[in-house]
Amino acid sequence: MDGDSATTDASQLGITGEYMASSHYVLQSQDDDGEENLNDHEDGGIKENYREQDIYLPIANVARIMKNAVPQTGKIAKDAKECVQECVSEFISFITSELYLQKFREAMKGEKGIPGVSVGESLGEDLTEDSFTNPLPAGIITADGQQQNVMVYTTSYQQVQHTHTHSVTVCVTKGS
Amino acid sequence: NANKIKRTPDAKKSISLPVSRVRLIMKSSPDVSSINQDALFLTTKATELFVQHLALSSFNNGSGKDSNTLEYSDLAKTTEENETFHFLTDILPKKILARDYLKTLEQMQEEEEEADL
Repeated sequence: MDGDSATTDASQLGITGEYMASSHYVLQSQDDDGEENLNDHEDGGIKENYREQDIYLPIANVARIMKNAVPQTGKIAKDAKECVQECVSEFISFITSELYLQKFREAMKGEKGIPGVSVGESLGEDLTEDSFTNPLPAGIITADGQQQNVMVYTTSYQQVQHTHTHSVTVCVTKGS
Repeated sequence: NANKIKRTPDAKKSISLPVSRVRLIMKSSPDVSSINQDALFLTTKATELFVQHLALSSFNNGSGKDSNTLEYSDLAKTTEENETFHFLTDILPKKILARDYLKTLEQMQEEEEEADL
């Protein structure tokens, strides 16, 4: 019962109580009962302070998208849902990271780039209406054959006292 | 030739993820200071596509096609085999049963003891 309430509260807060630090193996109880894992880590999960890396999207929303993606009659295991929930947060952090954006800009240059589109950065400029009328880099997100042209505007990459900050604006237009 | 997202009511309805929560996750990155509204919208939409892509790829690639169920192992397998999902490697380790792990541990200890003799 305690395990259940922890799960419910965790889902609403977007925190899963059984989140584990990265390790080589994730142990599964011999009875293959997901509930036992929850109880094992319950104390740690609840008493631990709220950590930034534990922010997740609600599992109900994630599960619904998964359900609609797989064939009609398909089912999804509970630990698969929880896993994708964690993957989602990882994904968002990844595409927001400076490392990714750097690679993205590099990839869009030269032959890999899209004809007629150049990649650039504007340094220290304010976001103005002009920023939107003059698109710079572009990329493509594809999923299940759907193509969407992604225009990425990078603005105000600033160096402030040894810390790097940048804000990213992204616009999308349906592929042509 | 639109350069901006047309934020019509239809566009907003097409998202099924909470934008505020996505924003929270984005803000947790030290690289990010401010987030443009369109960037937020797109990230949310991209996340949705990502979930679909990961779920369907794993379902088709793994045992799901036969058992009709998407399992954790399908996700781990797809992550390993698909370069697109390599960034998930650390959080999607392959699972083993506790008893198998303990057995392996015992075997390792036995081998060490034999080596010492």
